[in-house]
Formats: sequence, structure tokens, C-alpha cells
Amino acid sequence: MTPVAETEAPGFDLFCVGLNHETSPLEIRDALVLNDEEVGRAIQALRERAGASEALVISTCNRTEVYARGSSIEDPPAFVAGLLREIKGMDLTGPRGSYLYAYREPDSVRHLFRVACGLDSQVLGEPQITGQVKDSLSLAAKLGGTGPVIERLLDAALRSAKRARTETGIGRGPISSAYAAVGLAGKVLGSLADKRVLLLGAGEMATLAARHFQEAGVTQFMVANRGRERGEALAAAIPARVVSLEAIPVVLPGADIVIGATSSQQLLVHEPAVRSAMKIRRNRPLLFLDLAVPRDVDPLVAKLPNVFLHDLDALGVLVGQSLAQRRAEVPKVESIIEDELARFLKWHGSLAVKPTVTKFRSYFERVAREELERHRARFRPEDQEALDALVHGIVQKLLHRPTTRLTRPDGEGAKGIARIDAVRDLFGIDPEDTDADRDAR
Amino acid sequence: MTGEEAGSPHMQPLIPLLTTVLPVLYALSVAAYARAYADEASMSGRWGPGMLRSALLVHLVYLSARGVTEGHLPLASVYDFLSATALSIAAVYVYLELRQGIRTTGIFVLPIVFLMQVISSAYGGEPATRQPPLFPFWFEIHTLAAVLGYGAFFVSAIYGVLFLLMYREIKSNRLSFFFRRMPPLETLGRMNVSAASAGLVLMALAILMGIGWGRLAGVDLAKDPKTWLTIGAWLVLGFAVLAYHRLGWRGPRAVYASLAGFTTLLASRVVTDLFVRSFHTFR
Repeated sequence: MTPVAETEAPGFDLFCVGLNHETSPLEIRDALVLNDEEVGRAIQALRERAGASEALVISTCNRTEVYARGSSIEDPPAFVAGLLREIKGMDLTGPRGSYLYAYREPDSVRHLFRVACGLDSQVLGEPQITGQVKDSLSLAAKLGGTGPVIERLLDAALRSAKRARTETGIGRGPISSAYAAVGLAGKVLGSLADKRVLLLGAGEMATLAARHFQEAGVTQFMVANRGRERGEALAAAIPARVVSLEAIPVVLPGADIVIGATSSQQLLVHEPAVRSAMKIRRNRPLLFLDLAVPRDVDPLVAKLPNVFLHDLDALGVLVGQSLAQRRAEVPKVESIIEDELARFLKWHGSLAVKPTVTKFRSYFERVAREELERHRARFRPEDQEALDALVHGIVQKLLHRPTTRLTRPDGEGAKGIARIDAVRDLFGIDPEDTDADRDAR
Repeated sequence: MTGEEAGSPHMQPLIPLLTTVLPVLYALSVAAYARAYADEASMSGRWGPGMLRSALLVHLVYLSARGVTEGHLPLASVYDFLSATALSIAAVYVYLELRQGIRTTGIFVLPIVFLMQVISSAYGGEPATRQPPLFPFWFEIHTLAAVLGYGAFFVSAIYGVLFLLMYREIKSNRLSFFFRRMPPLETLGRMNVSAASAGLVLMALAILMGIGWGRLAGVDLAKDPKTWLTIGAWLVLGFAVLAYHRLGWRGPRAVYASLAGFTTLLASRVVTDLFVRSFHTFR
């Protein structure tokens, strides 16, 4: 049985072992994505075979990471490699050695914060990872893997991510061509809620663009595609009205945004059609976002007033600008991470049993002493000694059970930490706080 | 009876202080908006509007103190006109900022306000006085509406220019920092037209009150070139706004039309003050 820590905070013995886009190829990362059942198996193994008191697994298409606290194993990377081999039947050794990286406290905490803030993502500052970290915590909690330290750790990680989003520009600007297209449309046309989008093509790019525009509030779509079936499949998903490629000049006046995303070798939208559409539109702005290679839209349309044409190159410039901006924001995010790390370590340091118990007891004794002094005059001098003994006795009796519970040898376990945390919270105990500080308050 | 006799001297000591404080407040507002424009995460983006509103309030107090002291609207010199127009531009801008929730265009409006107030504070000298006009109600409403109208047209013109710059950037695919910091093109166009519409209403009121006052006071304003230049500018601006709403004019064409109206209006002011004898010439 682990002896209870007396003056030191219980060590959190946290390690993180995992792989990401920097250490492993896509096919390995893809094959290693764990489903809920596999995460459950991993957490169970970490608890039962590695002796971890708390465990968490984050598994996305770009990373799989295992966090465990209080484990007794000496070589975490070897254990995790064996565990993943067992679950996925995969060897995690590449031509340049192991795909796995490993961190120990406090680097493991710092790493988790970086992950949550999107600093460790393939696309810097991407927001999805924060939600994925949150989902991982929910899953681990459901599977009984988490405890007070990991829960507190995840809280701090998610708070770092929130601060990074609100206090810095790490999440600003488009980071994909399809997303940049939405931003550009907003910059030209303002609110997109009442705008009509004509999609040329029904492939992957058209679908992705349609999704982004849908998220931006667009509800009216038209799909023009060579293959009717594929067009209808996309139309059912968005939903949209399906038209043939030949009908483009007819539907053009009714569209505010035209997205070119076909693999056609010929131009699909010609200048005369746009010129006549603009007359019918009474010159209202018309935006072409040509994401196709080769182009779908005649470059000559850009010369018409109130017609805006942007191709992949232009959108690529926007994406490049955003990434450069995000890179410039990294030091600010790192400063937030260090701040949150310090807060977390301070909280963890405050979990030391002995100072907490001492403060807890002195709190009760002080209250009893103060009350005694307040009412002392109401008792006869010959009763004073008995009165002191009585009050002291009551306090000792009241404190006996909580003190015993707090100093039990399982103090390093999740329950012990939860108890200490609860006592600190209930009685407002800060181990760094002196009695003089309290009196001053 | 002189203007000084007509007014109250109690607020006079306040005026020199406010004359100095005002440009400082506008300078601070410009600095805050510049910072907010350059760095979107900057905290100054939050205190810029507060600073500007404080400047507006002080400006109102300043002009009110002048009005109380002098016994009439403080619009006796070209420097007074600059100060009142500065207040009017700032007020129209704050209104649009509140309506649209866009703060990044302030840096293009407020330096003009600052400059006008600096010139007014630096060269205005002792407050000029004028004889109280006949039929003051008509006259003061006419003056007030005209100044507010000028402010609205100034703001409209600034948004018009911003629209053209943004339009050119988007058309040419040169998507610079300016593009990122500006509101949507459509919003800039709408702000241009909204401010011009407000200016039209105010200027129409100014013209009508002016004509009404002229009749009552027996002044033949039909012989004043300023009257016809202003009506001409009003018609051009009116056409621009009408074209936007009724003819579906969008984009540079509508903006050029409103800018033409504004240029005519500005030219009428310059011509009146520098080249012709007019009832409206500041002395």
C-alpha cells in the first residue's frame, strides 16, 4: 500500500504517451483511431494492469494519446505500445524508430493544454480538437477512468482553449479554401442568410463548400451537375434544387453566389450569360467562387461591374494570410498555457495532506477559542478551567473522524484527493495562507 | 443689444479649458481606434467607443456653454462651423457604429473630426459674436439642420470612399490587411446610402427653414448663389439615394453619384466663403 504523503502534495505521476501527425504517417494514424469500446478496453487495462488511478484516451484521426495517473509501470511508452498492439494488432515502430512520444509531469500537462488549444494540431488553431478533448473526458468519465486530478486537468485544459480563442487570434481567419470561400462571400455580400447559392458540381469540394455555406446560414441552394444521380444525392443532403448544366444561364440571375467545383474540361459559365444575368438582376452583386481546376467560369466575367470572380489562387492567399496570423499568435497562447499550468500546479500542490489537516484543525480551534472568549465573562472564575476543557474536548471529538479520514493511507487515491479538495473548498483553506493573513482579513 | 449682453457669463471660465480638452479627447479616440484597427485582439477596441462618447459629451457641453455665454448658436465664424461639423460627424459616426456594431471604420472618420476641432481650437480665438437674428426659431433650426446635414454627408462620403477602395481590392484579388479589417462591401454601401439619406432629410429641413426665414425676414435668398448650389447638390444626392432604392443601383455607380453630390455641396461651401458675395459667407 502506498504510504500517505505528509508534507508533499500527492505526486500526480501523470504520463502521456501518444502519436500525432508529426511522428506518424496518415495510414498509421487512420488505422489507430480507437472506437468507444476500444477506448474502454484501454482504460481498463491502464487501471488494472498498470495500476493507474485515473486514465484518459484521446483518439482522433490526427492523434491517439493515452494519459494515465498514479500508475506503477516503469516504461510507459513500452506499455502503451504493447496495449495498442493488443487492441489494434499494429506495430508502432516505423523506419526511424517508434512513432510514439512520451511526456511526464508537468510536460504531460503542458502537452495536453497545447493539444486543447490547437497548437499541436496539423492545422494550427483548428477548433474541433477542443470538442474532441471534451468528448474524450466524457467518455473516460462514463467508463470510470477519470478522477479528481484528470477532471481538474481537463477543466484547466478547456479553460486554456477558451481563453486562447477569446484572448488571442489563434482561431481567426479561414484555414481551408472552402472555408475561405465563405469568408469572402460574407465580405462581399454581408449576411448570407437570404442569399442563393448555385453549386456547379456535386463532388467532394462542392459538398464541403455547401456544408460551410449551410453553417454560415445559407438555406437556398441549387445544384447543377452533369450526372443527375449524384446531383440529387447532394440535393437530398443539403437540400437543394437540381438543374442540368445546360440550365445554368437560366438559373444564373437568381443566384447570388456561384461555386464552380466540377471536373469539366470546358468553361461552364460564359461572359455573355453573366452579362445578361446582371441585367435581369438589376446589377445586384454576383460572386463567383471558382474552386475547379481547370476553371468552370470564364475569367472575362471579372471585368463586368459588380461581378466578383475568385479562384483557388485568391482563396489560397486568404488561407496563407490566416495561417501567418495564427503563427504570430502562438506566443500569446503559450503564455496562457503557462499561466494555466501554474494555476493547475498550485492547485495540485495544495493537496498536500499535512498542511491541509493542520489548517483545518486550527480553523476549528480558532473558532472555538473566539466563541469561548466572547462568552467567558458569563461564567464564574472557578468554572473557567472546566469550560476550557469542555470546549477543547468537543472540538477534538468533532475533528477526530475527519482527521482520521483525511490522513488514511489511501490519501493518494482519487477518494483521498477528492476529500482534501472538498475540505479546502468547504472551509476556505489555502495551505499557503497563514493565520496572520486570516486574522488580517 | 450685443450678443454678449444677450448671453449669460457664468459658463465663460469653462470655455478655454474645454477648447483645449476637446482636441486631446479626440486625439485619444483616434489613437484607440487606430490601435483597434491595427490589432483586433487589442483591448483598446473596447475603450475607444467610450473615449469617443466622452469626447462627444464634452463637445456638447462646450457648444452649450458657448451658446449660453453668447446668447445664440455658436456658429458665428468658419471655426465655429468646423467645430459644429466635427461634432455632427462624430455623432453620425457613433450612431452608425451603434447600429452596425462595426468599429474598424472609426479610424477613417475620426482623424477628420480631430483635425477640424484642432483648427477650430487653435485658430478660433475669442468667440465671435453676431447680432441675434430676426425670427430666431427659424434661423437656428435652419443652421442646426444644415450643420448636422453636413456631418451626415461627410460620413456618407467617407464610407463611399471606403466602399470604392474595398471594391477595387476585391475585384483585383488583392486581399490585403485593409480587406480583412473592413466590414462587408454591402455594409459599406449601405452605410454610405444611410448617412446620405439622413443628410438629405436634414438638408431638406435646412433649406425649407432657410427659405421660410428668408420670407419672414425679407431676405431674398433666390439671389444668393449658395441657395442654388445647395439645392443642386441636394438634387444630385437625392438622385443617388433614389437610384439605390428605386432603380437598383448598386456598387461604384451609386457611390460615385453620392460622391458627386457631396463634392458639389463642399464646393458650394468653398465658393460661398472664398469667391462670391453671399448671405451665407462667414465673416
